[in-house]
Amino acid sequence: MSRKMMTALCLLALVPLAACKIVKNPDPEQPAAEGAPPTAASGSDEARMSARAAEIWEPQVVPYIAAKATDIATLRAALVDGPDAAASYGFRPAAEGSPWNFIAKGEGKVVAEDRQSRAAKLDLDTDGDGKGDVTVQLGPVMKGTALRDSLNFLVFTDYRDQIEFAKLARALNDHAHAGLKLPEGDLTGRSVAFSGPFTIRTKGEAILLTPVTLEVR
Amino acid sequence: MKILRRTLIASVALAAFATAPFAASAEGLIAIITPSHDNPFFKAEAVGAEARAKEMGYETLVLVHDDDANKQSELFDTAIARGAKAIILDNAGADATVGAVKRAKDAGIPSFLIDREITESGIAVSQIVSNNYQGAQLGAEEFVKLMGEKGKYAELVGKESDTNAGIRSSGYHDVIDQYPDLEMVAQQSANWSQTEAYSKMETILQANPEIKGVISGNDTMAMGAWAALEAAGRTDVIVVGFDGSNDVRDSIKAGGIKATVLQPAYRQAQLAVEQADQYLKTGKTGQDEKQLMDCVLINADNAGKLETFALAE
Repeated sequence: MSRKMMTALCLLALVPLAACKIVKNPDPEQPAAEGAPPTAASGSDEARMSARAAEIWEPQVVPYIAAKATDIATLRAALVDGPDAAASYGFRPAAEGSPWNFIAKGEGKVVAEDRQSRAAKLDLDTDGDGKGDVTVQLGPVMKGTALRDSLNFLVFTDYRDQIEFAKLARALNDHAHAGLKLPEGDLTGRSVAFSGPFTIRTKGEAILLTPVTLEVR
Repeated sequence: MKILRRTLIASVALAAFATAPFAASAEGLIAIITPSHDNPFFKAEAVGAEARAKEMGYETLVLVHDDDANKQSELFDTAIARGAKAIILDNAGADATVGAVKRAKDAGIPSFLIDREITESGIAVSQIVSNNYQGAQLGAEEFVKLMGEKGKYAELVGKESDTNAGIRSSGYHDVIDQYPDLEMVAQQSANWSQTEAYSKMETILQANPEIKGVISGNDTMAMGAWAALEAAGRTDVIVVGFDGSNDVRDSIKAGGIKATVLQPAYRQAQLAVEQADQYLKTGKTGQDEKQLMDCVLINADNAGKLETFALAE
């Protein structure tokens, strides 16, 4: 498959997501029009997981993150001795072999930004030492599966296979990206309030946060 | 007297929960069914499961299905006929295996799957698989770095009927496709096979001599590709695999293949046996049915610590 085709497919995959947002409450009396956005029960894996992410975002994901978020300073202190030491704040399946995920909230000053890259990001200083200590992913490409894996109501057993479950992670990341509203122009020096999850596998690993809420003050 | 009573209660409980025909004091038989041991990955699984089962007091029956669903079905009949207490399985097809696992379940024999999933849940007790998506992204990130974020490359994909082939390819591309200067000029399936990868690589090289890298869905195909590249005098080509085999480890140490991704196959097989034991004794594993285990990047920095699909601390 050529790169162009890949890009085209990726763009196509975003279409139903956008469509879902516009047609929020379809009239149940109205028969589904041809080419109507797929539901969580129909269509390709990508389309179905995209619809699923859209379905759960407002009613489940946003309130869950708000309820479970821990202050970034508390998490940072707990993580000094590695992820296992911060287990009481962490989320992961019971079985061995899965890393810890943490849900943070806080505020920081932008010390560096990269908004040109496909994997755009902000570096925040959240402890006032002038150095970046939390990297907030802006996307459109967001790395990792922290968002899916910190939501403990999403269980792998409920999904057909790893492919479907990976598409769900991707769809949630896409949704997080789509919800970001940032002002134009250089944000360096501005204050930013955030909430969202990140994964920590090893002691000392840098924090790479997937934002669920992000607000420039 | 007390001990006897406890044993009795345990026996009754076991018979009730697992509908085992006999709750004998001996731990009983565990069947271990995998693809052919020609691939050291599957051999490591069988060895890991067998060693753990013996440590825990079980007898073992080690069988191979050669990725043939019919043969696998016969092996399930054998395991059932032999009165196995549990089956540890690396299966021969995500759809084709559902029936066999169900038949064992109906006969009162729980199955514990490793490495590969089946398309239904609620039939096997455990499905413990490597986090192939996470592992593929690790491999792809290393590949991108080695390629200097640009150049033409080829991808060797695994067997299409295997979920792991699709998920790894998807993990690779979710990373690589972010880099517009990396261009895939060929993508072919070599069905996990070393010899097939050798001939596919020869053809790809002829059509695309300017190729700079090859990313492979597993280590045996990476070995085949590397052999073809060596034969063509193209040891400048960057090859990255997936599995963490000793063969690729040795190639990495000799400066051949550049990186691979370790699946904790040995531990995974042992964990399946531990969950089987717990299930037989208590009626549950305490875990979700489907479980993911993280993979680890292997390159020149840590290849020395790798042995038989496990990384020394």
